[in-house]
Amino acid sequence: MTHSDHYIRVTGLDVSYDGFTPAVTDLNMDVAEGEFVAVLGPSGCGKSTLLHAISGVVPPQSGTIEIAGRPVGSGRGDGSVPIGYVLQEHRLLPWRTVAQNIAIVLRAAGVPDDEVDLRIDRYLNMLHISKFRDTWPLRLSGGQRQRVSIARALAVEPAVVLMDEPFSTLDEVTARVMRQQLAELWEESSQTIVFVTHSIREALFLAGRIFILTQGPARVFDTIEVPVSRPRRYEDPRLTELEAQIVEHVMDEWGYGATAGEDAQR
Amino acid sequence: MTRSPETTQNLRARLRASWLDLALGALGASFPIFLWWIGSHTTTFVPPIGDVLREIPGFVTGEDIWPDVLVTIERVAGSLAIALVLGFAAAYVMHRGGLWGRVADRYVGLMLGIPSTLAALLALYVFKRSEIGVYFVVSIITFPFVALTLLQGLRSADRRLDEMGDVYRLSTPQRLRHLAVPHLVPYTFAAIRNEYAHAWKVVVLAELFAVNSGMGARFARAFDRFRIVDAMLWLVIFMIILLGTEYLLLLPSERRVLRWRRSGMEGLR
Repeated sequence: MTHSDHYIRVTGLDVSYDGFTPAVTDLNMDVAEGEFVAVLGPSGCGKSTLLHAISGVVPPQSGTIEIAGRPVGSGRGDGSVPIGYVLQEHRLLPWRTVAQNIAIVLRAAGVPDDEVDLRIDRYLNMLHISKFRDTWPLRLSGGQRQRVSIARALAVEPAVVLMDEPFSTLDEVTARVMRQQLAELWEESSQTIVFVTHSIREALFLAGRIFILTQGPARVFDTIEVPVSRPRRYEDPRLTELEAQIVEHVMDEWGYGATAGEDAQR
Repeated sequence: MTRSPETTQNLRARLRASWLDLALGALGASFPIFLWWIGSHTTTFVPPIGDVLREIPGFVTGEDIWPDVLVTIERVAGSLAIALVLGFAAAYVMHRGGLWGRVADRYVGLMLGIPSTLAALLALYVFKRSEIGVYFVVSIITFPFVALTLLQGLRSADRRLDEMGDVYRLSTPQRLRHLAVPHLVPYTFAAIRNEYAHAWKVVVLAELFAVNSGMGARFARAFDRFRIVDAMLWLVIFMIILLGTEYLLLLPSERRVLRWRRSGMEGLR
């Protein structure tokens, strides 16, 4: 087997919130190079903790995480591959301009000074926000801030981009536009993307494969290939049908089975 | 290009608000002058406004007031710098908690309760009539307020931005430069602006007791010799320096450094 099949390899992963309460337990997943996968699970099941562990921010209790055959580390110069991370909130520094926000992470990633401006321009153009280069984040709308956050994640030219419900705080129209653009961007760049969401439709629209997690502590309950060719339409009836099937499939596992429903009606 | 009705309305509302601000400011400034006028007509110890105003040109050009003004400014700036360093150290220790955090917390609480006059007299006993006494009094009186303001800043640090720093592997110097320091700047400015005026009041008090130089000492000398016009002139100079530095130096610097906040407020309009 090659790295391209198991570009991200998570084996027997256990992570806890505080050293005692398990958030992820015995989780296994493989992601191929250039693949767009979604991680789907109910709110609070441990999806974000899983991404934190893959990014190296949270150490696992046990198990291993490898990206491109190298263990995930915790800092610069530790031999681990660079990672781009788009969080639920944009997490831009309000006291730095858009360009400065990107420059800071580029410098932290060791990008040479003469390349920093070129990269900023390239990725701001790609995300259609180049006119906001010298703007303070507080002047931008929610969608524009999230675009900057995506540009920042892509600008480090990471081996993997992790996205943690990046569109969940946006209004529906903006979120749809952003999803469409993300899908186009991925088709152009073939970047490996792990996208966490609790929206089944969003996962079906964006991903080639979906890892469905259990209620917390998270482990992989099922893996689903999305049999719809790209480019996709958000309103595609095949996605609607698949969405209904997945809802049916996860109902019991996520704690909304027939008994739970009856209890709720009483 | 034509303005939309909404923009014109906003502009009018803003103009109205600025005029109102200006009018209220003028009213606020004229009230003490009115009191002064009343005082000068009903008592024998408050000099008439006209007498004091006539003396100002001669006072600021003819007499050797500037060495004393400069030495007081130097004491205020130096003491405030010491108070900032002490205040930051205390806030940091209190924020970290533990035994030393609790100890620092108690000391800051104790210092907050010490009256300026008592501190000035204490400094006179301990340091005699030396320069160190003035710096000691001003720093010891102002630093607890600085510590509390900076502690509030440290406690309100955004953990989510730290997490962003973890994700992108920001080094410690980068975290200090881009995360910690900019976050504390508004709190530092608030501490400086509050304690600057406080330091001026305390330094004048300390100069009355502890030394023979500075504006406080000159004020006391004028008062002792019943030169009431001179005492009022020192009071006027004191207020001009205090308000001048506030409005011409501190406020514009704060606006410039914190312009990223203002842009957000405009964006919300």
